[in-house]
Amino acid sequence: MREAVSVPWFSAGLKEWIFTTDHKKIGILYFVTGLVAFIIAGIFGLIIRFEQNSPGFQVVSPSFYNYLLTGHGAVMLLWWAIGAHIGGFGNFLLPLMIGAKDVAFPRLNALSYWAFFGATVIVLLTLIPGNQIKMMWTGYPPYATHPDAGVTAFYVFAIHLLGVSSIATAVNFITTYIRMRAPGIGFWNTNLYIHSLIVANVLQLIGVPSLGGAVTMLFLDKYLGTNFFNPSLGGDPLLYQNVFWFYSHPAVYVMIIPIFGFFSEILATFSRKPIFGYKSMVFAIWGIAVVSFIVWMHHMFTSGIPDWARVLMSYTTVLVAVPTGVKIFNWVATLHRGAIILRSPMLYTLGGIFMFLIGGLTGIPNALVAIDLGIHDSLSVVGHFHYVLGMALTMGIFGAVIYWFPKITGRMYPENLGKISFWLVFIGANVLYFPQLLAGFLGMPRRYPDYPPIAEWVALNQISTIGALILAVGVLVFLVGMIKGLTSGEKAEDNPWKSPSLEWRTSSPAPVDNFGEKPPKLEEDYHPYKYGAPPTF
Amino acid sequence: MEEVFAYPAKWWNEAVIVWLVVAVVIYAVTAIPGLYFIMKYRFKPGEREIGDHEKHGHWGLEVLWTIVPTIIVLVLATYSFAVFKKQRTVPEGALTLKVTGFMWGWQVEYLDDKGNTVKTIVTSYNPTSYEVPEEQKIVVPAGKPIKVLLTSMDVIHAFYVMPARILEDAVPGRITYLWFQINKPGEYWVFCREFCGTGHSHMFAKLKVVPPEQFTAWLKGGTDLAKKTADKNI
Repeated sequence: MREAVSVPWFSAGLKEWIFTTDHKKIGILYFVTGLVAFIIAGIFGLIIRFEQNSPGFQVVSPSFYNYLLTGHGAVMLLWWAIGAHIGGFGNFLLPLMIGAKDVAFPRLNALSYWAFFGATVIVLLTLIPGNQIKMMWTGYPPYATHPDAGVTAFYVFAIHLLGVSSIATAVNFITTYIRMRAPGIGFWNTNLYIHSLIVANVLQLIGVPSLGGAVTMLFLDKYLGTNFFNPSLGGDPLLYQNVFWFYSHPAVYVMIIPIFGFFSEILATFSRKPIFGYKSMVFAIWGIAVVSFIVWMHHMFTSGIPDWARVLMSYTTVLVAVPTGVKIFNWVATLHRGAIILRSPMLYTLGGIFMFLIGGLTGIPNALVAIDLGIHDSLSVVGHFHYVLGMALTMGIFGAVIYWFPKITGRMYPENLGKISFWLVFIGANVLYFPQLLAGFLGMPRRYPDYPPIAEWVALNQISTIGALILAVGVLVFLVGMIKGLTSGEKAEDNPWKSPSLEWRTSSPAPVDNFGEKPPKLEEDYHPYKYGAPPTF
Repeated sequence: MEEVFAYPAKWWNEAVIVWLVVAVVIYAVTAIPGLYFIMKYRFKPGEREIGDHEKHGHWGLEVLWTIVPTIIVLVLATYSFAVFKKQRTVPEGALTLKVTGFMWGWQVEYLDDKGNTVKTIVTSYNPTSYEVPEEQKIVVPAGKPIKVLLTSMDVIHAFYVMPARILEDAVPGRITYLWFQINKPGEYWVFCREFCGTGHSHMFAKLKVVPPEQFTAWLKGGTDLAKKTADKNI
């Protein structure tokens, strides 16, 4: 058995980083890996944007363009939208917010990270010419089994390793939450972020095996000659789509629900008041989770499934709007009679909610089957999910980075860079994605590197490119702020935001044993959103 | 009566407008109070240092904003159902085309009443331009409903008739369908809308909508449409 380590993360050596089972170090490893992936996939996105800027092939060949699309989609979704914040913030915050020493199975936690790391290595291998994968992150057969799609095995094995990682993390987090809460923390005074994290991991636990099954069949079809998806020998390509989306639709809630948790934490702190409708918030996230498993066919509205199935799934899909609406209305009501402080985490949160509102409203036409028949696989779908999963999520993570920066690093994130980056990201994102919504309604298909010179399409794409450049500068400023905060940030107090929530009751940066030998003592009526003293900043 | 340009685009446009109105109203109802609260309830040292801790929620309000959105989305979904039914019900007397997608082009067969192929057009893959030779244009009559039966030879494609705002996937091993009607003669775009590989963005076709008499002549007469078009100068 290894001795319990007492080295904090900032003085840990390489050996400690490799063998660590400390939830905070693993969280940092996850986040840094996810951030690097985000930067690479972001550069992919920029190249895609330049290629689509005007008709014709200017920057890359169509085949390389397909690789960029696949890489951008898969890495942004699986590394940034799941790994970086569930693995990163989830690991760091879960034990701190419930007053535990570590997660329930620390070594399993390390295994989770190293499986995630293995998937990262596999996905980086696709950068080598000849290894490219071009089947899009969805990997639909029969295309994915066609030679034109590239090395499908990389795609399959990356997903398998991520699946191992996700299932282990889910088991770990759910057990930790059920078994290791400090005395005094019950279901109704748990932070909303923890509720969100647990819901997301329940979805992972139920859904990931389905995705694993889908890509395994893909692998067998391509390399071992089975015919799950080969119609000429009795298979059916739509089987894959059903099994794939059975997980991958709930997966979008795995990605966004913890972000809702960030929004709730930050919104309450910077409004200096309890979150409005705490209980209905908890019901809403569980409501989203339940509905999320009966809507997957809206990804297949034009795939030739029976009409009755399309109508049925259209009804269930619009119902998702109800719990998400409840959350948005509760957030707005939280602002009412608050004492609002517009620090940069709050700006990112408000911006993220704004992006989600537009993303949600533009999701309705995708859910209404009659409108979807005209915009399915168009650029407006791209615009829609970049509003919700792209920007609401990224702004949520950026806000969370600034908000928990003191607890993680012991230093403050430079506020001026936080504000500048927020405005650049917010304006850039809207200039980038709003024209895509319009272009889609004007008929422009997605995944097109080249398109005929239809005047409106060209104009909208060129506006998008300007937005992409502004957004890129904003992200760069944010990253500079992280480095500046790490190296020369102001020393942080233990509780700089004067939040009553449990994670702020230990020193900054959080010590190796979190709260010391004994679990933290909580007052009788502990609640994470009971604000008292005003902040001093 | 105003002239309808194309079906099901007419109903699709109406549905988009209905959605847009609802979305703008919901947006205003949410964003305006939000912005107002942000302006009004600012933190002021010594004056407003802490938010109201008395109201943790309000069951009446919370029930209200659960039930009202539920009704709104169910009404929208039912409206969409009604439109969808029209989009999927092929009118009587439609001309049937059998379209087979392949990497990267379309084979279009014109079927007669008995389902026999009368004429076939195959588009060729042109990886660099969007020009279409005259004999590869898909000619259809104006003002007449067209039923398109879809399938694929290799991977999944999707047939998107841009002026009619309708698409459906072409899946190998299955026959799917869509229908449309364009009332104004002219040339229109058809695109593949399901990702199908390197040539995806150049898997397109030109739809040539001509007056019905001209279509009948073209269907019987082979490929001299180019000349006729020049003569009549449409």
